[in-house]
Amino acid sequence: MSAMIEVVDVSKSFGPNKVLRNCTLSVNKGDVVVICGPSGSGKSTLIKCINGLVPHDEGEIRIEEQLVGGRASDWPKLRAKIGMVFQHFELYPHMNVLANVSLAQIHVLHRSRAEADERSRRLLERVGLAAKADAMPANLSGGEQQRVAIARALALDPAAILFDEPTSSLDPEMISEVLDVIVELAGDGMTMIVVTHEMGFARRVADRVVFMDKGEILEEAPSERFFTAPATPRAQEFLSKLLSH
Amino acid sequence: MPEVILRNLPFLLDCLRVTVALALISAAGGTALGLVVAIVRYLRVPVLGVVFRVYIELVRGTPLLVVLFICYFAVPSLLGYRATAFGAACLGFVLFIGAYIAEDIRAGLASVPQGIIDAGLATGLGPNQVLRLIVLPQGLRRVIPVLFSQYVRLFKFTSVASVIGVREMTGGAMLINAREFAPITILIAIAATYLVICSTISLGGRLLYKRLAVKS
Repeated sequence: MSAMIEVVDVSKSFGPNKVLRNCTLSVNKGDVVVICGPSGSGKSTLIKCINGLVPHDEGEIRIEEQLVGGRASDWPKLRAKIGMVFQHFELYPHMNVLANVSLAQIHVLHRSRAEADERSRRLLERVGLAAKADAMPANLSGGEQQRVAIARALALDPAAILFDEPTSSLDPEMISEVLDVIVELAGDGMTMIVVTHEMGFARRVADRVVFMDKGEILEEAPSERFFTAPATPRAQEFLSKLLSH
Repeated sequence: MPEVILRNLPFLLDCLRVTVALALISAAGGTALGLVVAIVRYLRVPVLGVVFRVYIELVRGTPLLVVLFICYFAVPSLLGYRATAFGAACLGFVLFIGAYIAEDIRAGLASVPQGIIDAGLATGLGPNQVLRLIVLPQGLRRVIPVLFSQYVRLFKFTSVASVIGVREMTGGAMLINAREFAPITILIAIAATYLVICSTISLGGRLLYKRLAVKS
């Protein structure tokens, strides 16, 4: 069986800056892959290439065999298959929580409003926010906003979810409420790629860890092996710095 | 109320009606035009985007009175139709205020963060849906205060239409003054009327903004 997400030899430049160099990555159904590495290593760019938010220059990306990019891409269909959760939540500030979760269900999947809202309420319950359905995003804490964002991604019944540093802009005491939701999703068998600096989380949940530096995938290993015996000196250095404080 | 005003009240109210009609038509037309121009410029539509840019630059570099003259004398003679003063004034105000409103709305649209647009795209919404469901509702809410200050400007601008012969409030007041010669009373009366209406427009804008503003 071929992989659910296949990234082959992908490169990307912003002007003269080469931000991705020949990245190759393959993610099977049910895999939890953590991408880590220093800031500016291209982690976020890589996952934004996967759903086409950032168009890649070279190489090939396939989601369930469907090519990402190129003229024939059916973006709505492709993107609805891949949920995404952002560092800064990015909820629509002019809509309440329920409408945030229902919007794409109505306009992309063409569910009726009632059907969409019903599904949204179930998902909000799942992330522990059933009581906040009518609240506006600005009145929620960061942790709550991020959980709404996760519900919004789940609402399209995606085959996989991309997390772009989902806890990096949260106060420390809110990190665990978001991680708990992600851990639970992983437990349910959701395929996910998580860019994160939370190494404890990575160790607990990830099947594999991908280490990037300067736009290159330097190392890809089962998480236990990555944390106990990283192969590359760069990864060793990165881990020792992270763990020493 | 002073006797001179009372005696001419029906006439003045008629003129006020013309002023209000002029302002309402121009505000509606200018907002519609501004919205279209803003969206075209925001989307960087080729050719049309440049055309609208030139339009904005032209209007911003031309005095209002000249715009009105162009609409009253030049455009009709070029296109071969007979213009009414009222029609020409409406056209002039729409073109004039539309250019300013376009830039205000465009700034509002541009202020919607890319991250939120990406979030919409990531859920599979197409660019047009993102514009309609996310960017416009947010961007327009943000420009409510500037939009209403444009309406206030526009309301006062209507007095300039008297120059091409529209019998609006200022023009009407001057007619009465020519007959009655009571400039202080008459001018105070119309200035107060402008003031009350402009304050009401401002207040309306503030209330609307309070209701609709998005916190982020």
